[in-house]
Amino acid sequence: MPLDYRRFNGPDDSVSYKRFTPDFLKSYEELLGDLLEKNNLKDEQASDEAQRVFAETDTISQAKGSAYVEIKNTKVVCSVFDPREIPHQNEFSHLGQIYCEVKFAPFSCSSQRRPPAPDAEDKALSEALRQAIEPAVCRHLFPNYQIDVFAYIIENDGSCLAAAINAAGLALTDAAVPMYDLITASSMAILDDKMFVVPNEEEEELAMKSQESKDINHGVITLSMLSELSQITSFIQIGSLETDCVIKAMDILEKECKELVPNIQKVVVRNVIKNVKRQQILHESAKEMEEILDEKYNLWQKSLKAKSYLCFSLSFFSLLA
Amino acid sequence: MTHACNLEGRQRLQTSIGAVLIQLSRFYIHTPRHALHYTHTHVDFRCSKYHPFRVIHPVRYFTSYIERNVRPDGRKFDEHRNIKLNINTIKSAETSALVKYGNTTVICGTKLELAAPKAEDPDSGFLVTNVELVPLCSPKFRPGPPSDHAQVISNVVSEIINNSKFINLKDLCIVSDKLAWVLYCDIVCLDNDGNVVDACITALTASLKTLSLPTVTYDPETEEIKVDTNNRISLKVNGLPVATSFAIFPNCERSILLTDPNTFEEEMCGGNGANITVSWNNGFLCGILKSGGGTLSIEQEKEAIKMAKERTL
Amino acid sequence: MAGSLISQSEQVFIVHGVENDFRSDGRSSIDYRPMELETDVVSHASGSARLRLANTDILVGVKTEIDVPKPETPGLGKIEFFVDCSANATPEFEGRGGEQLANTISSTMQRAYYSPQAFNLKQLCIFEGKQCWKLYVDILILECGGNLCDAVSLAVKAALFNTRLPCVKAALMDGGNIDLQLSDDPYDSKQLDIGTAPLLVTLCKIGTKCVVDPSAEEERCSVISLVVGVTGNPNFYQTDDNVIPDIKCKCSTISMNGPGSLSPKTLKSAIEQGITAANCLDNALGDALLREKDEISYLKKHSYGFLK
Repeated sequence: MPLDYRRFNGPDDSVSYKRFTPDFLKSYEELLGDLLEKNNLKDEQASDEAQRVFAETDTISQAKGSAYVEIKNTKVVCSVFDPREIPHQNEFSHLGQIYCEVKFAPFSCSSQRRPPAPDAEDKALSEALRQAIEPAVCRHLFPNYQIDVFAYIIENDGSCLAAAINAAGLALTDAAVPMYDLITASSMAILDDKMFVVPNEEEEELAMKSQESKDINHGVITLSMLSELSQITSFIQIGSLETDCVIKAMDILEKECKELVPNIQKVVVRNVIKNVKRQQILHESAKEMEEILDEKYNLWQKSLKAKSYLCFSLSFFSLLA
Repeated sequence: MTHACNLEGRQRLQTSIGAVLIQLSRFYIHTPRHALHYTHTHVDFRCSKYHPFRVIHPVRYFTSYIERNVRPDGRKFDEHRNIKLNINTIKSAETSALVKYGNTTVICGTKLELAAPKAEDPDSGFLVTNVELVPLCSPKFRPGPPSDHAQVISNVVSEIINNSKFINLKDLCIVSDKLAWVLYCDIVCLDNDGNVVDACITALTASLKTLSLPTVTYDPETEEIKVDTNNRISLKVNGLPVATSFAIFPNCERSILLTDPNTFEEEMCGGNGANITVSWNNGFLCGILKSGGGTLSIEQEKEAIKMAKERTL
Repeated sequence: MAGSLISQSEQVFIVHGVENDFRSDGRSSIDYRPMELETDVVSHASGSARLRLANTDILVGVKTEIDVPKPETPGLGKIEFFVDCSANATPEFEGRGGEQLANTISSTMQRAYYSPQAFNLKQLCIFEGKQCWKLYVDILILECGGNLCDAVSLAVKAALFNTRLPCVKAALMDGGNIDLQLSDDPYDSKQLDIGTAPLLVTLCKIGTKCVVDPSAEEERCSVISLVVGVTGNPNFYQTDDNVIPDIKCKCSTISMNGPGSLSPKTLKSAIEQGITAANCLDNALGDALLREKDEISYLKKHSYGFLK
């Protein structure tokens, strides 16, 4: 790999110290056992997944619209900027374009440090995010323009794509980009007959690398949808699942997305109230300013009239003299 | 419904700007008196950003405040913004710190790794600090490799920390010539509203101060490494470096120093970040950098250094 | 595809036809157009295949290299996909135009081959924790005539079927490092077990129904397509009689392409349709590959000289 001269680099062969801890050497079965044990303790109080989402708009002052979403420990910020002309393009495009970029923070994953330059996973997630939000935006309203959507994953604790989609949807709403419907997303990890809705990193990882000897269902599904229109905008599955299992998971995820909508709506309503207040203040101040200016204008005109009258009479008198 | 509401809001804002524009073209005179009053009372709504006068004529807007010895956001010239600090919110990092200077938001996360020390310096570990100005923090940054400005900021932060001797690299060595800690400190700017360097230094020091290293046993014969995470020793630090940045506004008689400038002030004073950054650690000056902006008399420089020192006490 | 502009009435004609399960070229909704497949076309690659599906032309080469396995998976090899869109393939690929498409295809392939049930990386292991094979699958898109994902996955499976890994003759331990000695004989090699390797099926939504392998005109009528990756059946890829118990086809990846969206009901029926189509396709590919293999071995036995 070429050396990155634009950043400070550590030594090439550095490895995370976690590789030398006893935990690292645990086998797949042990990890699975740990997880199940933990879940048994947790599942005593059946938790409502939709309630675990924290969302907020207007987190970044410099952006047109921005949002922050937290699902479990996963933390994502997203910002949207003003539309700009599509760079390096000579042809006119009738539909506006959306440019997405998803980036993991170097410290976002608990194992190894991530390189600061975008890697294959970043690119795949960017593509998936674009696919998910593109159908939700009224793109015909800004032809030949591009909207930039940047999502930054501060901490990754599973279901980061779902969190990024939720954040991007909110940020677009905050930026007042016209959309067809609110977009919500949810994800699920499947391991054998167990389904983890909104999985954390452990669950996601175990579901992804199943033992090859056993022929069981395993995989991760992320689904995003426009609930009001009941349209699925993106569906991404990795792993190996039977059809029945996929369909069953889809039903659950659909419900999950629908349950998320009121939460997101609340955030949006709060945002609107804030904007309306801000606007009223602006309006009042503008009115006030206009009044002051009008006053001054009248004053000036009066003095002008007086002056011109004076001038006129002066010149008249001088003529007479 | 929400979009409609939002859109309408923006449109209405535009019409009011239009109205004022007409008025201004008639007059070109303005008193900031009432505007001042309004930002003071409603500063939390961030209305000043959308203020019509600021949109139309930013320089005059700015100078009319400065002439009245106050800054557009209501601060005095030597007043800082509120600082918020949140430590260890990110579980995936070894330690982390979130710092807010007003709107400016910076997150620092550390990662610990092991590597063999450099051959020319076998008793030292590594401290790798990087500042990332990601495109989401400001419309000025575009995706892609770090810009020149980002590289400068990254360099400045790393210089300050290295010069201040905040961390002795010898402490990071485990076995001479064989094994040493590599301390990756990645600082990410999430919201760039000016004065990033100060915020970065605060975040960095906060996360390093809370850092503890697991104990490592190294078998020189088999080269086997064992890490015990239950037994941690906190990292020794020396003092507490503090950076204080100023923007220099070139005024006719005398330049004005603005402490802790926000983006708008930085722009008005020449752009590209703060103009002078002074950093102190343990009563020693460990970095001073002047870049762009107005000129500065010697007395003012002394004043800036003094102000920065007072802040560290 | 750009260039094939069609009128409103033509669009209506196609949409109505699909609604009633008639397509303009007489196929059913899960039929593919005829394809041409050729394996062992690049002599320097360990395995290669070339596939033509209507106008789409794809060349796949597999390169093998010895690598160190990842510390978290010491017993597994590696596989990587690179897609290169030739600038001549379609006018849209000029400059950096093809990059996005290439990214999409390579990440879809990577996802499809992720599960050990789809492609077992254990067979690429040479020495656990020390050495493994790394397969570089280079996909070159020579001409783009629609339906790229399907064609790429078919060509990749054929190329992997054709791949020969040289056998390891001896391994010398040299103070922690391993020196491998590979067999010099080109025929002393082992084949990969690719029976379960997934095939991608693109289902193009036209009206309310989905069709596989859309023609350029049909593609114009659709705003969204669903890509379903389905694991293969190893029985199709072997001649011996030791029948492996039938493994049920599973989805190894599902993703969506295009600017539109789907209703849940359509999605469900499309997934099922995709699996059926993939099964037929897999069967046909297996037959073709076995036939091709026989021919090649026949040629190699009876031909001498550089003209073969």
